Amino acid sequence: MRKTVSLVLGVVCVVLLSFTLISADKVFRTSWELPSPPVGKPPQYRLVLITQEQDTPFWVKVAAGARTAAAQNGVAIEVWGSYGKDQEDFLKKIEIAIAAKVDGIIAQGLDTEGFKYMTKIQAASYGIPIITVGSDVPMVDSLRRTYVGSDQFLAGQMIARELAADMGQSGTVILLGDDSEEYYQQQRLGGIRNILAAFPRIKTEYVKTPVARERIIAATQDAMNRLPDVNAFVAVNANIADAMVQEIGRRSRVEPFHIYSFDDSPDTLSLLKQGKLDGMIEQSPEEMGRLSVDLMVRWLNGETVPLNKDGYLTDIRMLKAEDVR
Amino acid sequence: MNTIQKKIWTLVAVVLFIMVAIWIALTYYNQKTQDQYNGILQRYLRMNEVTNASQQTIASLNNYLLSPNEINLTQLDRSKRQLRSARVGVLDLRNGENDLTVTSYMNLIDSLIETTDRSVMFQSEKESEDSTKAFAEATRISKYISEMTLTLLDTELKTYDRFYRNIIEQSTDLKKFGIWMLLSITLLLLLSTYWFSLSITRPVLKLTQAARELSRGRFDLQVEVSSNDEIAFLAKMFERMRVNINNLILEIQQKAQLEHELQQSKLLLQESQLRSLQSQINPHFLFNTLDTLSKKAYLEGAEETSDLLANVAGLLRYNLKRLDRSVTLYEEVKVLRQYMEIQRTRFTDRLRFETEIDETCLGAKIPGLTLQPIIENAVIHAVEPEEDGGTIVFRIRDEGERVAVEIADDGPGMPEHKIRQILEEHAVDTEGHSTGIGFSNVVRRLRLFYGREDVIDIGSGAERGTKVILRLPKTRRLELEDEAADRR
Repeated sequence: MRKTVSLVLGVVCVVLLSFTLISADKVFRTSWELPSPPVGKPPQYRLVLITQEQDTPFWVKVAAGARTAAAQNGVAIEVWGSYGKDQEDFLKKIEIAIAAKVDGIIAQGLDTEGFKYMTKIQAASYGIPIITVGSDVPMVDSLRRTYVGSDQFLAGQMIARELAADMGQSGTVILLGDDSEEYYQQQRLGGIRNILAAFPRIKTEYVKTPVARERIIAATQDAMNRLPDVNAFVAVNANIADAMVQEIGRRSRVEPFHIYSFDDSPDTLSLLKQGKLDGMIEQSPEEMGRLSVDLMVRWLNGETVPLNKDGYLTDIRMLKAEDVR
Repeated sequence: MNTIQKKIWTLVAVVLFIMVAIWIALTYYNQKTQDQYNGILQRYLRMNEVTNASQQTIASLNNYLLSPNEINLTQLDRSKRQLRSARVGVLDLRNGENDLTVTSYMNLIDSLIETTDRSVMFQSEKESEDSTKAFAEATRISKYISEMTLTLLDTELKTYDRFYRNIIEQSTDLKKFGIWMLLSITLLLLLSTYWFSLSITRPVLKLTQAARELSRGRFDLQVEVSSNDEIAFLAKMFERMRVNINNLILEIQQKAQLEHELQQSKLLLQESQLRSLQSQINPHFLFNTLDTLSKKAYLEGAEETSDLLANVAGLLRYNLKRLDRSVTLYEEVKVLRQYMEIQRTRFTDRLRFETEIDETCLGAKIPGLTLQPIIENAVIHAVEPEEDGGTIVFRIRDEGERVAVEIADDGPGMPEHKIRQILEEHAVDTEGHSTGIGFSNVVRRLRLFYGREDVIDIGSGAERGTKVILRLPKTRRLELEDEAADRR
């Protein structure tokens, strides 16, 4: 009896003590893991990539390419941006970057007065180099070091050639563009017109619309009313494509029309997969990101001075609906 | 010695030590936690400081631009100094997660200061448009600083999320630890108190039991207390007392034993007397008749018969007279000779009696009528049954401390069990015609008389006959008492 009692007491003692020790260990041994101070020497340069359309597939790829290149070159890069083409926010980001005295800014070109003032006056006064990426603003207006991205004129030409091949020698084409008429859009338009000029029987109609959805729908409606014999559509600004296709589909079947666009909008690829688009210009966003960082580093290191002011062009391809099915 | 007081002190010291240890641990832990909290708060305060300082700078700049005087300029300088010191504080905020942001942040502060300076410079050069432009820029930068402060705070919250959760978890753990510790310390204290009180009460209990046993009269249980304190000392004293009492009791018992033995010897004597009295019809009449018969025989010329009768009469007289007191060996030998004369008349040549007596030993004391029964036994067993009789040898030798009396015969010997019976003082069936006093009676009386066991020895072999040796001490233990008894 006595033995049992002392055995039980002993076991209870051991259990209690072990629990106490375990919890004491937990309480006193927990490492207060504070984030460590930065290790190693600070990166050589601080670069900022600023876009208007953060987190769209296109710009995600650009950012990924830029990060890869930054890691390879041992420089730090931050990706800032505004959502949904918020130009005010975009310009503010650029001003912050300038005031924060980063070593280089890689920015999506924005063909507006604000952007030009920022790049030409502010950045220049702080001595910060700017490279435009994806879409360009002419050097005289922006004092950019160079441009990295697709040749938008060539892209327009490719679309036009494809269109001519698909549609034939004659027909009516509606070119739907954004009314801010940015530089890259003018280039594309120029390219398209440049090719289609060779086909006298192809009639082109250029329609400008604000980027708001209902305005696009209205513009599409209006154009189709005016030109009932339309054969083809080209959304010169990729962001217009979705609303445009929707409106066309509301009025009749989409398939008979030849519809083309570009890939710098989140909607165009899915439209292409659904077969609503007949063709799309595919650019090389990762290459853009990578190359822009490389060039910036080379310029900062003084290896390539000056950079080619005409820009460094990346690959573009025609992607057809049949290819992605 | 491990005193009870010392034990109490030890227990208290242990408890005190545990309490102090817990207090120190908790204080240390508390301090550590507080430092951590302070560090975290410091970070937030520093960021806030930057925002405040930048806003202060803008306000001062605005005042100065509106009314450019010395006071406002001093105010502006002070604000800028504040901003600079806040910027230095920001350096400590750097960590792996927010390194780039912090760099930008600090550069923004630099830009703010530069823009402010530029605005002041334009103002002093009376280019008020540029000055206003720079002020607008500075205002924007200040706004950016505020925004970036928020961004940094946000990053901070994300980075430290794990850490903050840890703190919360830790406080839960601490609570659990407290409960566990309370439980285990309670148990340990209960156990040790139990053990401790037992170490005091157990010896007391043992002592109590020993005392109870002692009071009930059991003095043979040893009082044993294994502890090492005052109780043990008490127990030791108690044990000594018990031993002393035991010794006293033993002494008393020995005395009682002696008294008892004395009583017994007296009883035996009385028994012997009774026997001899029973066997005697009217002794005086018998003596007188025997004397008359002896004289008559002498007168009639039967001298031998006359002697025989005289011997018988002497023997009888001795028997009646000497049984209750010690006699000398001389007297015993004399009676023995008379007895042998009578027996020789009976057996004539068949009985041969040889004596070797050391005369110097005849003064030794011996209980009366002890040798005669032994000789009688020898005659009955060694001479009577044999056709051609037997020889009885009687020797008395001096053996220093003792006198050896030896009675040997050449009869058929005595069986082993009978010897044992005699030596163990059992009553032996005596053959009818003895004088009445048995062998075992003799043995008992001899032993009582001398107070020792080794006074008699019987040796016998199947052919060698029987040899009884008495070793009588020359001085005897109970001499004094005996003499006192004699005088009564």
